[in-house]
Amino acid sequence: MQHMASLTRLHEVAEPTAIEVARLSHVYAGPEGGVPALEDISMKVAAGRFVVIVGPSGCGKTSLLMMLAGLRHQTEGTILCNERPINRPDPARVGVVFQEASLFPWLSAVDNIEFPLALRGMPKEERRRHAEAMLRLVGLEGFGGRYPHELSGGMKQRVSIARGLVQDPPVLLMDEPFAALDEQTRMTMGHELLRIWSTTRKTVVFITHSLTEAVYLADEVLVMSARPGRIIDRIPVTLPRPRTYEMMATDTFGRLRDRIWQQIRKTTQPGLA
Amino acid sequence: MPLRWPAPSTMRWLILATLLVFWELMPRTKIVPELFLPSLSKTLAVLYSDRLEYVEALGVTLYEVAIAMLFACGAGILMGALGGGVALLRNLLLPVFSSLYAVPIVILYPIFTAWLGVGSESKIAFAGVYGFFPVMLSTAAGIRTIDPQYVLAARSMGATLSQQITRVVIPASIPTVLTGLRLGGALTIIGVVVAEMLTSAAGIGYLVTRYRTILDSPRVFAAILMILVLSVMFDVLARGLERRTLAWQTAGRRPRRSREIMQAVPAGAPA
Ligand SMILES: Nc1ncnc2c1ncn2[C@@H]1O[C@H](COP(=O)(O)OP(=O)(O)OP(=O)(O)O)[C@@H](O)[C@H]1O
Ligand SMILES: [Mg+2]
Repeated sequence: MQHMASLTRLHEVAEPTAIEVARLSHVYAGPEGGVPALEDISMKVAAGRFVVIVGPSGCGKTSLLMMLAGLRHQTEGTILCNERPINRPDPARVGVVFQEASLFPWLSAVDNIEFPLALRGMPKEERRRHAEAMLRLVGLEGFGGRYPHELSGGMKQRVSIARGLVQDPPVLLMDEPFAALDEQTRMTMGHELLRIWSTTRKTVVFITHSLTEAVYLADEVLVMSARPGRIIDRIPVTLPRPRTYEMMATDTFGRLRDRIWQQIRKTTQPGLA
Repeated sequence: MPLRWPAPSTMRWLILATLLVFWELMPRTKIVPELFLPSLSKTLAVLYSDRLEYVEALGVTLYEVAIAMLFACGAGILMGALGGGVALLRNLLLPVFSSLYAVPIVILYPIFTAWLGVGSESKIAFAGVYGFFPVMLSTAAGIRTIDPQYVLAARSMGATLSQQITRVVIPASIPTVLTGLRLGGALTIIGVVVAEMLTSAAGIGYLVTRYRTILDSPRVFAAILMILVLSVMFDVLARGLERRTLAWQTAGRRPRRSREIMQAVPAGAPA
């Protein structure tokens, strides 16, 4: 018991910030001036946390993630990752997992995972060693020689996760990684992701449209408003870890899910609020 | 035992064999006059007896085809890459070339002979231009239709611009480029043969025209047979090359889950 208590305190004290977004706004150039996509976003993600972002379609979730990844420049505001600003993609600090089909179909699974290492000119043997370790981590040992079209949707996303993690970045960004999967595979993959997360202790920012997925995965759920996207609610998920499927049937789970849904309903249909 | 259709490949050979048998029998039974269609055996006989002449003509044609293909593919890929990759050039070049592609370029051939003479040069120039268009247009299309998600993924992994080109743009556009090469190659062969038939003093196309004017049907058909074999051989080679290069996409470019995929996954494999 005492051991548990000291662990919790340790957790509270030694929690460096992995991502810090301050007063970020973004306006897309368009006809008639511009389209404001994001407005005054501020957020802090502690190292090792699993944060899920939800919000109505088109509210700027992907835009925000692209900026966190250094793939797009915000109009205003700053992003710090491990206390240094993000200006361009830096795979050693931030790994990205996209929706389905961002694997290169002309490369086998293991070559896909090695891709970021090959870009850095790492020698073949060393690359292969890292990639094989990643295949083991995501539960795909022995499938490295397969081409993407020979893998199921879930297996493809496992490869994508392996590719995002192969450089061991402290932060992993995921944009609706399981959106194209059927519900059963999706549940399995969520559970798998938590297993991988608990063994690697990464900071994860995860975007989803699924409320169940959000509550099941998150330490904290950030709810965004309809465009222009602002953060309108931060919901700590108090469910203990490791998460189990049985928790989905509990009252706490239902209340959290409901609170997120109410927020999204309010922002998409203000008249109903 | 129920009657079953033979496999498609057997079927193809059977159809070919039937055609050849008909070719032999129709003139022999005088259903078709020998002047219109000499029998297969007669055609093969003159092909054998005049083999020196035919081999020499084939050499000329092959030489012209090879150089013209080199030009069509090289220039086509280069211009296509520029047109597909650089927005300014795309807006400038592509509409022009797309329209030119619709022009029957054969009307330009007399000009080529006026400039370059009736030797190989005019054939190479004409066939090269003829084959250039599909190569250039499909290269440009191949580069323009690359899924932007691939480039985005590569950028997120820290790829520099040149790495994006060599490791993503080129491999991703290879399927479309190869299709263009096969089409362009076929057009180059057509271009050379047509040019030889119109104005020339050598090559297989020239033999067709010369023997037709003196109504020597077996020799005309011997030349036609050679052109047929040449084109079919090119197509088989090109398809083989495509298959070998594109082993990764046997199930289509971006296949969804299909029954085949599910079958390829052994039982007990992870989701
Ligand atoms: N490159 C762009 N140029 C102009 N407008 C853009 C661009 N990308 C996105 N937008 C606009 O910005 C807004 C936010 O887009 P974004 O893709 O970030 O939303 P999202 O929350 O990820 O949506 P979804 O849930 O459907 O994935 C949308 O209205 C979109 O039309
Ligand atoms: Mg999105």
